[in-house]
Amino acid sequence: MKSIFSSLRDGRGFDVSLVAFPMAFLFLLSGLPLVYNIVMSLQEVDMFSLGTFARPFVGLKNYATLFSQPETWPILKNTALFVTASIAGQFLIGFGLALFFWNEFPGASWLRGLFLVSWVMPGLVVGAIWNWILSGDFGVLNYVLRSAGLISGNIFWRSDPAFALWAVILANIWLGISFNMILLSVGLSSIPKDLFEAAELDGAGAFARFFTITLPMMRATIGAVVSLGLIFTLQQFDLFAAITSGGPNNASNVAQYWAWDLSFRQYDFAQGATISVIMIVFVMIASVIYVRSTRQEVRG
Amino acid sequence: MTAQIELTEVNKHYGAYHALKNINLSIAKGSFVALVGPSGCGKSTLLRSLAGLEKITAGRLTIAGDEMTSVPPRKRDIAMVFQSYALYPHMTVEENLVYPLRMRGVSKTEARARAQDVAGFTGLSGLLTRYPRQLSGGQRQRVAMGRAVIRSPKAFLFDEPLSNLDAALRVSMRKEIRALHDRLGATSVYVTHDQIEAMTMADHVVVMKDGVIEQQGAPLTLYDRPENRFVAGFIGSPAMNFVAAHGIDSASIALDLPGRPQIAVSRHGEAPLKAGQAVVAGLRPEHLRIVEGEGAGQTGIGRFTLPVRLIESTGSLTYLSLGETGEIALVEHGREQLRPGDRLTLSIDPALVHLFDPQTGRRV
Ligand SMILES: Nc1ncnc2c1ncn2[C@@H]1O[C@H](COP(=O)(O)OP(=O)(O)O)[C@@H](O)[C@H]1O
Ligand SMILES: [Mg+2]
Repeated sequence: MKSIFSSLRDGRGFDVSLVAFPMAFLFLLSGLPLVYNIVMSLQEVDMFSLGTFARPFVGLKNYATLFSQPETWPILKNTALFVTASIAGQFLIGFGLALFFWNEFPGASWLRGLFLVSWVMPGLVVGAIWNWILSGDFGVLNYVLRSAGLISGNIFWRSDPAFALWAVILANIWLGISFNMILLSVGLSSIPKDLFEAAELDGAGAFARFFTITLPMMRATIGAVVSLGLIFTLQQFDLFAAITSGGPNNASNVAQYWAWDLSFRQYDFAQGATISVIMIVFVMIASVIYVRSTRQEVRG
Repeated sequence: MTAQIELTEVNKHYGAYHALKNINLSIAKGSFVALVGPSGCGKSTLLRSLAGLEKITAGRLTIAGDEMTSVPPRKRDIAMVFQSYALYPHMTVEENLVYPLRMRGVSKTEARARAQDVAGFTGLSGLLTRYPRQLSGGQRQRVAMGRAVIRSPKAFLFDEPLSNLDAALRVSMRKEIRALHDRLGATSVYVTHDQIEAMTMADHVVVMKDGVIEQQGAPLTLYDRPENRFVAGFIGSPAMNFVAAHGIDSASIALDLPGRPQIAVSRHGEAPLKAGQAVVAGLRPEHLRIVEGEGAGQTGIGRFTLPVRLIESTGSLTYLSLGETGEIALVEHGREQLRPGDRLTLSIDPALVHLFDPQTGRRV
């Protein structure tokens, strides 16, 4: 006992315990459920076998079943569209705003702070707000579009299969803009100002400076923001629950919502786990990109 | 000699803060001009105004005869070496060097040939494929210089380029920068807070304080004939001694030192000194002579005796602090067999005594 304490104090054991605690934490709360989920996707699970671990293994049968269902491909397509459109929108608008606030004008940092409001709001609340905005009869969005002469009749955003997914994408972009903007702002402000001054004296105009200095210096930040955005977007659940519930007729359903629906509303845990495993693969890819982009950080 | 850069009544305000006050400065083509002054006096602001990185609030600036007051930096054809070097961290040395050429539409092959050339005479030949983070401080400094000289700008601006280097490297880079300037026949403006750098490198030194040009001229003119007490104290190392005094007649003063010693002063066109006129006498440490042999130990006309407080020797030079509180500095060549408490008798050449007005600080 004494030697354990002394090794804690003399440094070597201390290092190990500093690493061991978070590792144990991660293993218990992330590692085990992950493994459990993968195992479940290879088993036959029903309400009665839910409590035990000894369930019949069925190999890849759950995967085969999943891909033979007619709704699988449309839902995966929806997921891809949801992820790409959300990230593209969040990133482009967020980067635009970050560049805008980067020009120090009176009140810039105060205004930028206001954008954080969307970040601290729970997804369900955001969903409720967007329900009002998107409402077919009295929604603000329809009013604005009609006043601008862009549409003649009301769009029923949440119930029209052509628009339902876009309604959620719209809300999700709004939700993610501030996260993108803040991270990109931090990235921008960490670029030394004199690089831009040097480039300006070297003859670079505003566009040349953006493409030869700003973008390359932001590579690490952009990689991090996009891969984190991918992870967050794949986790986005609240907005679907609040706005469309995946409907109408799966028109706005995505993998993460479907997995929840299968597991906890239809009690088909094996199918839910199978979808989750497929999503884990994508999140893993995003994580690798994220880790690599932060590791390759270029700082003079 | 034509003026390459001309500033007329230039003023710069940061909000309520008046950073540059009525700057008039003419920089001759091919000259090496040093802007020197204590930290915060506006040297960088002036340099950045030349580059166009700061907008001047009033006044006029011309470069090579062209009106440049509100022309953007990239159209001024000026190159600058930053204190931080401002190398592009995501580009190799070669990419850093060719950047100014590529931005001006020079072809890739021609730019690379120029980079080879510049790397040759700045000592970067083996380093072209490295990134800035893989270079030492001195090598980064060379890349920054190379990037400036690769095109032939109308002027080179340097903002304390050597302040991040160690002392030995600083001395050798000083010579290299000057040699590069001469080789290119360039016009250079060099900001430094180090008066030794300014004195050794420049043809023309501009001394600034609180946004005002205190005096400008050839380095030795500033040393021999400082126009005010600030310049007198700033130029020269160790700094000039200032001793309160008053006039006895038109050619001698009495110093406010024990025994009220009287010393002769010679006037070179200044207004004649009046009896009883309060002045501050400036005596450079290297101009004080130790009187030995006959006359030593006596205070009288032309000499004064002070106790030794502190002796510091570098081997070749000996620095003495004299007086009750060690307020008078003296530098002697060689070594002195002295101990604290010894009394020294000093004299000074009348032509080397500077007199200033105690109120205005101006030379009298
Ligand atoms: N962007 C700025 N805003 C307000 N004050 C500034 C700014 N830049 C410099 N100053 C002030 O102007 C004065 C001169 O600064 P500077 O030219 O950098 O001095 P130095 O002679 O040390 O290079 C300083 O007092 C500094 O605080
Ligand atoms: Mg400065």
